[in-house]
Amino acid sequence: MQSQCIFATQTPVGPPVEIIRHSFSANAKKTGKRVSLVTGLHGDELEGLYICHRLMGILKEREAQNALQGEVHVYPAANPQALDSGTRLWPFFSVDINRTFGENNTHSLATDLSKALLADLKSNSDLVVDFHASNLQLMELPQIRIIKDFEKKLVPLAQLCNVDLIWVHPHADIFESTLGTNLNQAKIPTLVIEAGICLRINKTYCEQIILGILNLLEQTGTLQCTEPRTDIKNPKLLQPHQVAMVQSPNAGLFVKSVEIGQALQKGDKIGDLIDSSQKQKEIIAPCSGLLFTLREYPTTGQGAPLARIAIEETS
Amino acid sequence: MKEKVLTLPTPFGAPLELYKNTWGNPNNEALALVSGLHGDHLQGIHLNLQLAQFLDSVVEGSHPDYTLKGQVISFPVVNLNAIQCGSRLAPADGMDMNLAFPGNPQGETTEALASAIITHTAECYWGLILQSAPPHYEDAPHIQTLQLDSSTKKLCRNLKLETVRQLKPSPAHKVTLAYQWQQHDILTAILSSGSPRTVNIQQCETLFQSIIHFMKAEGILKDRRKIKTNTTTKPHFYPPENDVSIFANTAGMFLKEVKVGTPIEKGQTIGEIRDLYSGKRLEEIIAPTEGFLLTLRQYPIVYEKEPLATLLTAKKSWRNILPWSK
Ligand SMILES: [Zn+2]
Repeated sequence: MQSQCIFATQTPVGPPVEIIRHSFSANAKKTGKRVSLVTGLHGDELEGLYICHRLMGILKEREAQNALQGEVHVYPAANPQALDSGTRLWPFFSVDINRTFGENNTHSLATDLSKALLADLKSNSDLVVDFHASNLQLMELPQIRIIKDFEKKLVPLAQLCNVDLIWVHPHADIFESTLGTNLNQAKIPTLVIEAGICLRINKTYCEQIILGILNLLEQTGTLQCTEPRTDIKNPKLLQPHQVAMVQSPNAGLFVKSVEIGQALQKGDKIGDLIDSSQKQKEIIAPCSGLLFTLREYPTTGQGAPLARIAIEETS
Repeated sequence: MKEKVLTLPTPFGAPLELYKNTWGNPNNEALALVSGLHGDHLQGIHLNLQLAQFLDSVVEGSHPDYTLKGQVISFPVVNLNAIQCGSRLAPADGMDMNLAFPGNPQGETTEALASAIITHTAECYWGLILQSAPPHYEDAPHIQTLQLDSSTKKLCRNLKLETVRQLKPSPAHKVTLAYQWQQHDILTAILSSGSPRTVNIQQCETLFQSIIHFMKAEGILKDRRKIKTNTTTKPHFYPPENDVSIFANTAGMFLKEVKVGTPIEKGQTIGEIRDLYSGKRLEEIIAPTEGFLLTLRQYPIVYEKEPLATLLTAKKSWRNILPWSK
């Protein structure tokens, strides 16, 4: 393993903020792809951190066994100060790093960081995986979200990652300043994995994704494959019209009565919403299907998502 | 007239209410004034309240020299949660309001507010967004635009501010109010000044006069007195390549020695950075070129590589050489 600092800035109180890339590489002739794993762009999303920690342990062993055929680059903490303080944004600047990629009109440390990271990824990768957990509010089943424009290239790769579902959604302007979109636009296939909830580690989901990434590395020829894995999930592929979002009809406290991953029938109760006048209203599933997003943080505003359901096709 | 245009319930307390002020003839072309997209941009809120007071008195007849001919719509406070919490962003969702346009009427609070602003201003002819500098900085009063076509230039001339800075296109712009207004063919300018969390009365007065001048020039406001102004403020249009940023090469405490809105000589001292432990001067910050000091670091604690100042330089601009471009 070789480690290199790709961005550093001195802090006013002493030690620098550094972004480190750890690289694992074939000793002999490289035949496989160069795959990069990025995590911690949002400082409160910790699942990716744990996944990368575990993968680095495995990659160290495999590197020693000469089992690498390509290169794997791991960027385990892309926003170190936000990770230290457990906040989504870089605290000193209140900036979402994942909204600063691409051309920018203002100079700031955040845009310098995103430029350095994007450039390093571009020059070192044939394929990138960007790990995210959900925000504070929602729990997500392990999933890969793909913008419609990149569907053809990304779906076959996403199917290797042992996630529960692949959600193809339409493009929105807000994505244009994200790492994933900028890499995909630069023709470097990039998968954005979303799993769990922020500030927590869901070990089951992490194990599932670790297996998926190892499979991805093997299937792309980056890592030697002894025998094909038989335990990889065949993810549900969802087009935009196959996702039903349940939004909160009012502000209040949402108390769930189901668990994520459950198969719901149309009319099933998802939970109760208690509004500020203490009125209680049942929240009902509008369709049958797999519950893949669920509000865990009870306080909700009007219009906020409570659940997402992968609509079951009636045959 | 103050009118409630949106009510959003909150989980435990009184609802959030979005208000719009309207003056003048609803059949005439309208000017929209929006401030408070970020909860800490108080300069724009102050400017809007000054204008509200002024327009109320014009309509009531206590300013006999003025008649309101056009229509003015103002949204003094938009990011209600953030303003209530004294923060830049709404703490509940951490969403940046100026990355939430055009919004969604069925969406979360920030999206619903953004959508309401678009709905209520979509028919306006002109749009002015009143904002402060980014966190930790101070801006000299100036105009920012996303484009510099002839009608935007005319708008800038009528605002009678010296400095017009064209922003470099960026993917994040597409979800800002300015960009979305342009999509609705609204002539748009951003008036930026001061620092977040503060009000600079002098800067507000400059912008207040600028907006009054604009309203008179566009016929929104009629002044019965035929006063000839002898000031000849002609705007300087600065394309993005005329921005020069001055960076910190060390981290520590930055102590400034200059003021925003002033001309800077090449070689002039902008300030210095001192070590937090020893107090030793780590670096003297020197202007690499002459220019107009548009933005200056206001919060003294700085990281290495951070920009401390932005100069607008006319050097590379051929526009300033050509007399008709002014
Ligand atoms: Zn994230």
